[in-house]
Amino acid sequence: MGQSIDTLPAIKITAQNTLDETKTIIPAQQLNKTELSTLNSLSVADAAKYFSGVLVKDYGGIGGLKTISVRSLGANHTGVMYDGMMLSEVQGGQVDLGKLSLDNIENITLYDAAPENILLPARSFASASVLVLKSTEAVYDPYKKAALHASLKAGSFGFINPSAFLQYHFNNHFFNTLSTEYQGASGVYPFKAYEYGGGTAKRNNSDIKSFRTEYDAGYKMNDSNVIRFKTYYYHADRGLPGSVVLYNPISHQRLKDDNFFTQASWKKSYQHSKLLLNAKYSYAFTYYLDPDFPNAQGKYESKFHKKEYYFSGAYAFYFSKIFSAAYSSDYFISTLTRSDEFAQGFAVPTRNTWLHNVALKAIFTTMQLQGDLLYTHQQDKVKFGNPGKEINAFSPTISVSYEPSKALPLRIRAFYKNIFRAPTFDDLYYTFIGNTSLKPEYAKQYNVGLTYKQTKSGIINTALFTMDGYYYKVKDKILAVPRQNLFQWTMLNIGNAEIKGIDANMSINFIPIHHINFSARLAYTFQRALDKSDINSSTYNNQLPYTPVHSGSININAVYKKFTFGYNALFSGKRYKPGDQIPENIVNAWTTSDFSVGYDFYLKNNHHLKTLFELNNFLNQQYEIIRYYPMPLFNYRIGVSVDL
Amino acid sequence: MKKTILKWSLPLAILFSSCSHDDTVPSLPAIKAAKGLYVLSEGGTESHLGYYDLTTGAFTGDFFKQQNGGASLGQIGNDMIQYGSKVYIVMNVSSNVTVINASNAQLIKRIDFINGAAKTSPRFAMAYNGKVYVTATKDSSVSVIDTTSLNIVKTISVGPNPEGMAIVGNNLYVANSGGYNFVSGPDSTVSVVDLSAQQEIKRIKTGTLNPQKIEANSAGNLYVSGYGNFAAVPASVSVINSTSNTFMNKLGTDISYPFLRMYHDTAYFYNNYGGNGTARVYNTLTNTTIRPEFITDGTTITTPYGINIDEQNGNIYVMDAKDYVSSGSVTCFDRSGKKLFTFSVSPGVNPNKVLFIR
Repeated sequence: MGQSIDTLPAIKITAQNTLDETKTIIPAQQLNKTELSTLNSLSVADAAKYFSGVLVKDYGGIGGLKTISVRSLGANHTGVMYDGMMLSEVQGGQVDLGKLSLDNIENITLYDAAPENILLPARSFASASVLVLKSTEAVYDPYKKAALHASLKAGSFGFINPSAFLQYHFNNHFFNTLSTEYQGASGVYPFKAYEYGGGTAKRNNSDIKSFRTEYDAGYKMNDSNVIRFKTYYYHADRGLPGSVVLYNPISHQRLKDDNFFTQASWKKSYQHSKLLLNAKYSYAFTYYLDPDFPNAQGKYESKFHKKEYYFSGAYAFYFSKIFSAAYSSDYFISTLTRSDEFAQGFAVPTRNTWLHNVALKAIFTTMQLQGDLLYTHQQDKVKFGNPGKEINAFSPTISVSYEPSKALPLRIRAFYKNIFRAPTFDDLYYTFIGNTSLKPEYAKQYNVGLTYKQTKSGIINTALFTMDGYYYKVKDKILAVPRQNLFQWTMLNIGNAEIKGIDANMSINFIPIHHINFSARLAYTFQRALDKSDINSSTYNNQLPYTPVHSGSININAVYKKFTFGYNALFSGKRYKPGDQIPENIVNAWTTSDFSVGYDFYLKNNHHLKTLFELNNFLNQQYEIIRYYPMPLFNYRIGVSVDL
Repeated sequence: MKKTILKWSLPLAILFSSCSHDDTVPSLPAIKAAKGLYVLSEGGTESHLGYYDLTTGAFTGDFFKQQNGGASLGQIGNDMIQYGSKVYIVMNVSSNVTVINASNAQLIKRIDFINGAAKTSPRFAMAYNGKVYVTATKDSSVSVIDTTSLNIVKTISVGPNPEGMAIVGNNLYVANSGGYNFVSGPDSTVSVVDLSAQQEIKRIKTGTLNPQKIEANSAGNLYVSGYGNFAAVPASVSVINSTSNTFMNKLGTDISYPFLRMYHDTAYFYNNYGGNGTARVYNTLTNTTIRPEFITDGTTITTPYGINIDEQNGNIYVMDAKDYVSSGSVTCFDRSGKKLFTFSVSPGVNPNKVLFIR
């Protein structure tokens, strides 16, 4: 949300500050609101599946956990930035992108190292990749102080999703927006039974009720002095269906979530420099219940409370048109407490993290160079037991892009980054499992790429092409291993992995043909992600579990008069579940195809009504991303939205 | 005071044991040689019943599926026993006992283990006098399956989270682990069930926390092995006198194993999660270690997940779960601890039991 207000247009159009993916030094992929609207996706996780290099771990259903692994580094290596600040996930380190609704999202962008802007909080540089989410902004219209966008979606499996987006401008300096949404579903979806000759079975206990509300306020003194506030609250109550169990569909486990944050940001531009100050408070509560647990109480409950206070300052100085430099410094304090039967003796960790980042950038006519150096100082304190190891580390990033000839719209780019992810609170302190002697898990990233942009050629309006080859190495990967029996696990730094891959993307806009506007996006991923952990193990040199060698996606959009059509397909090659890579352990290749059609009605007084019909998995393919977690078969959604 | 009495009663017990041993030791029964082995692999996601042909050395990894038109066995098979012409496979996560024909592995019946709307998660089985007794973790019970009707005819309440069982005389002994009480801690008792009355008549407190396995020797002494609490209290083995139904003593601290298998008064103590050698060979009549390490020819077993002994020739089969995710193996040893043969149970993962098909 931070960057674009300076150039806010004074007329009411949908802000489309689309990123040119061929011009970034660091590989980046973006889906904007128009593209998202025809993607048949409800959550950020659904949309992220269309990016190359991304594997979404999807356990199926609307309420299922969905995390992303970028270039096979694992979910802990991806940071998620929401409206200018990173989301805190201090306990498990993996943000559940299934919880993040697309309803009020303007665009999502994945950067394979860090976003390019040098005026960023230091935390933006602290992950191997960053997924940047930007919510819809208020757009100032001098003739209309208040505006409402309301929508209602309903569909298969008892799905219902009303939402509203309200904006109010007191004047052209001060705006307010409120976005709110409810999602509910019985989630009882049919799937092809795993039992031989079993016909169709139904997913049990996969209901969800969730509620989200976001309030934003901004005060713009002038173009170079802006203050913003944001408050976010999300609550969900869902069943956890677990994996399908043969011959026994009973499932009763529940999960309740509360996520809250409030943040403030001040950005001021001076003649040759810019200042960005951020502060944020986050609180999250998770409640897990297994009502069939065979202990003396007859149930297992866990209640975790997570808190974080975050402060950041960034200052960028623009020496000339060529050189700029920035320094940013973040401090945050994160705590985890439990209030269940395990509370006594729980470590109650508090983590203090200091991050300092220096970024230097040079923009020459044919070459761009950027270098970042991040320094991390992290220290844990605990009430019981031993604290995790202190971390003091430098993490460098170097990136370069080069345009050999101005006559040819071709760029060559490369980056190197050496980054780590710190052991999470779960890794270190989880009751019985945590191991406080863990070291950070390191990821070395090497990337070389080519980009090409074709404009106005034949029927092509613009065509963007990017291809990046990468070599990533993961050292001291933190994995859970059984200790004394299968419910006594512990965390160890025992994994190593080597990933060689290619991400290729193409996006084409055609010139209108018979009043039809066509555009298409294609993404392809090739990955050899090999286990290099233990040379004596039978899994050494095997492809990592659940990682296809080939995968890809297609999005085609067509606009004809008031009609919008969308076709989206995903493809994944075969994968293996953990264990020996024998035919028995193959998780089959899969494809899904979704189709959508929308129709716009223009009403009186500039009001606008849109209808949308979505057919998901219309070829009715049964597939699974994780073994024994069947994904939904054919399903549909109908939506109507109105702008008043 | 209590300790002193125990100390003094110990030699007596041994003396008594030796006598009864002399009285009851049979000559090796005339048992037919096994033709093949059923191997149960628990699986990470799916269990497998494999068949190993002892004549040809051929192994069929998914024998159950082959013999049942492609149907899967189910999830997390913890135990299997043969009784008469049937084999009873205890499916913990699928929460049933799958009854198959012992000769061809064809499915006869799946007996669901459900209490109200909850799974009861069966663990181990033991056959006696026309009945199969099955412990269930979740409702702390022993269910009685009638082997003619293949129905559960009675459910007997015992201690928390029962595991292994043993039968001496007319009594069923059940190891109550209480292993799911993470905060208050595990149990340390053994339930005594009168098989005529089909009810619990006594709960014996042992010196072993989180008891898992219980087996009797010919002297009528029951050996109970357990995990301890995974913290300060280590795994240990306790001895119960089945005549008086009282706890006798706990074996020395060097006998720190959660699992055991008894064969003709020789106990094989092992740690089914590795890290303590393969197995300790122990004479339960003299209460002395015969060999601290069972294997004598240098063969390595990573994770001895189960041990079974062929009654006919005394060969010892050790199941290796390896890293719990790759295919396991079964290795056959002679009684002196020398390897005879080994085979992979692929695609089976976490093999825990072999049955001898004769």
